[in-house]
Amino acid sequence: MTGIVLPSALITGLRLLLGLLFIMSGGEKLLDLKYFSLVIAEYQLLPSLLIPAIALFVSLCELLCGTMLLLDLFSRIGASVMLCMMAIFIAAMTNNLMRGLDHDCGCFEFLAQWYGLKEEIGIGPIVRDILFFILLLPVTLLGSNRIPWKKQQSKPPANTKA
Amino acid sequence: MSAKSLHRTLVASLLLLSGLSPAVAQLHAEPSVALAKKETGNIDLAAAKALFDTHSACFVDARSEYSYYNSHIKGAWTLSESRFDEQFHEFRGKMPVTTLIVVYCIGPSCPKARHVAEKLKKNGYRNVKVFSGGLVEWSRAGFPIEG
Repeated sequence: MTGIVLPSALITGLRLLLGLLFIMSGGEKLLDLKYFSLVIAEYQLLPSLLIPAIALFVSLCELLCGTMLLLDLFSRIGASVMLCMMAIFIAAMTNNLMRGLDHDCGCFEFLAQWYGLKEEIGIGPIVRDILFFILLLPVTLLGSNRIPWKKQQSKPPANTKA
Repeated sequence: MSAKSLHRTLVASLLLLSGLSPAVAQLHAEPSVALAKKETGNIDLAAAKALFDTHSACFVDARSEYSYYNSHIKGAWTLSESRFDEQFHEFRGKMPVTTLIVVYCIGPSCPKARHVAEKLKKNGYRNVKVFSGGLVEWSRAGFPIEG
């Protein structure tokens, strides 16, 4: 990836945008975990016993990774985790679409509330998740992997060696 | 046959026909749609409300469980079409097969209520009705909902 050069402002912009988005999405899910569990159950991919734990895990992951992206705290790791999750969401929705199931996506309910978009599984949410996947790629590959408030150790001057 | 007996026969026939006519007229006046609904066990809003008020039926929500979680007819059970097998076990344990069941979905265009009603019938429930107006009609009428 050394050949790809992207302006740091773009990486920062993507990081902030995606971070905010995932914080809102994860926070919303955590506020009504029961509803999110019931939506996951509709996917008919997981055993019933695992669903509440998975719902909690996904919500916490989104919230944590969103915060990491927003604060630029190991943002490359945060973006990588979200990238994997996006791939799983895309696969799950495609699977359900192919099986002819029709239910809520459970992705970004707040977007549905704000813009009146119907958040049912379909081509729309899949394309949107693919877009998020693409947007996460630059942060995953070129984002920072550091603690922002920790002072970077400056290299010792060359003449101190002697 | 004499003219007198013929006259009597005609009068008797006319009387018989006039006596039968209200019943015949009523039968023809009943819209074919309503008849079809009766055959398939569909009920309208008024009938559903009457059953609700008298507590003489168990209401079943055929929509997805998360939709039921958001809002449903007060006191209704959830038996979603998609997760019927998982939810039916508990339902069977609490509802005898003789119970009058009213299944509903979001509205008339939603086929889930009919599908769940068929599944219930297959599982031994004989007294199953479909409230085709569904939750939309129920909530528009201002009838009790919860969730």
